[in-house]
Amino acid sequence: MRLLRRLLRHLNSSLTLSEAEVTRINDKYFTIGPVLIDRLRVREGLVYAGRYLGRDRRLFEPSSLLLQMLASEPGTYKVHVGRAAAWLFVCGRDLFEESVEEIEPRLILGAHYLVVHGGRCVGYGRYETAGERRVLRNLFDLGDFLRRES
Amino acid sequence: MRGREFFLGRYAELGQRLTGEETTPQAIRVNPLKAGDGHVIEVLEGEGVRLRKIPYLDHGYRVIHSGFSLGASLEYLLGLYSIQETASQLPAQMLRPGPVDVALDMCSAPGGKTTQMAAYMGDQGVLIAVDSSRDRLYAVENSLERCGVTNALIYHGDAAAIDLGTRFTKVLLDAPCSGNYATDPKWFSKRTMRDVEANAARQRRLLGRALELLEPGGTLLYSTCSLEPEEDELNIQWLLENHDAELAPINGPGAPGLTSVFSEELDPRVSRCRRLWPGGGTQGFFLAEVTKP
Repeated sequence: MRLLRRLLRHLNSSLTLSEAEVTRINDKYFTIGPVLIDRLRVREGLVYAGRYLGRDRRLFEPSSLLLQMLASEPGTYKVHVGRAAAWLFVCGRDLFEESVEEIEPRLILGAHYLVVHGGRCVGYGRYETAGERRVLRNLFDLGDFLRRES
Repeated sequence: MRGREFFLGRYAELGQRLTGEETTPQAIRVNPLKAGDGHVIEVLEGEGVRLRKIPYLDHGYRVIHSGFSLGASLEYLLGLYSIQETASQLPAQMLRPGPVDVALDMCSAPGGKTTQMAAYMGDQGVLIAVDSSRDRLYAVENSLERCGVTNALIYHGDAAAIDLGTRFTKVLLDAPCSGNYATDPKWFSKRTMRDVEANAARQRRLLGRALELLEPGGTLLYSTCSLEPEEDELNIQWLLENHDAELAPINGPGAPGLTSVFSEELDPRVSRCRRLWPGGGTQGFFLAEVTKP
């Protein structure tokens, strides 16, 4: 939970998740709605339940479900990009400033931003300087689905 | 009892002349939890992909041409569509669980049909997925996450023995089976009748358990991608003889279930099942819709 909360803070999210709302299964975190909770009568063998939030790694590794929730939330830090930039980002590349079409609310060096294309979140990164240039350093992207299965 | 000539001879005896070279074209299924068909088709066609709607599928499209891997596109990673063979889109479509159902997917890996069931449920109700392979369940977890599914519980366990403390209104049993040559070029050199018989025995255990887990009035959709009647019509005949079950007629592509199998005459109700031979735009497939009085 500590790493998850740190990620939410970094992205300026107002989402609050209490310990009671979050279910941990192995190293993964979930929220489970009341209808599903009512049918959760056996814990043995359970590996996944409800809305997957992500898992603990060195940094918190967010799920695409959590990223999309955060992207839909007003106030979270976001950069909006076109399809080509979104594709490069999910291939693991960093984003150069000129690829960014819009920043919410403004560029803050060191802050974390969700990367959004057409209203859908493809990952997140941190604004840094790289020599003379400013880049959004890729910290996590949806290409992870392919890396997990390779 | 193995080899190409042996199996093709069996199919001929069942009334189907096949070459053994039939294949199935790639197909995708649009995920309505994430996007409308029109949007996905427009984006993919903008990237040079050519698709053709499959008339009997709700969200299925045959891939006519693609210059890149459709399993590694931006839209795939966003969960807007999945790659799913044409016939394998039929079981969940025919079962059609709704938002108030308590549904079970008994052998869920790799998760294509599980996410399809969730889509029919509008990500509401309760969907429980089970598989006996922990390694293959990682693919189910990834599919649920990618496709935006939040109404599911996943269990690692043997579906023939599992007790989850609940009964279900809809059950999908897409049973582990011998498969067919249309999706596996080495199939003829791998499979023997001993495999078929072992699979049929396992499938009967699963079928019996599926019926126990079903609420009265509920529906069980049994499917395999096997062409062997021991795993298909003969299992349904066994179910009718040994359990209180009824068959609902299935309309759609393919042919009625066989009622005459190697000189054995089956219950005429078995014709309500559906059998798809490879070569008609799909792989080999079998479907039975079982209801519990």
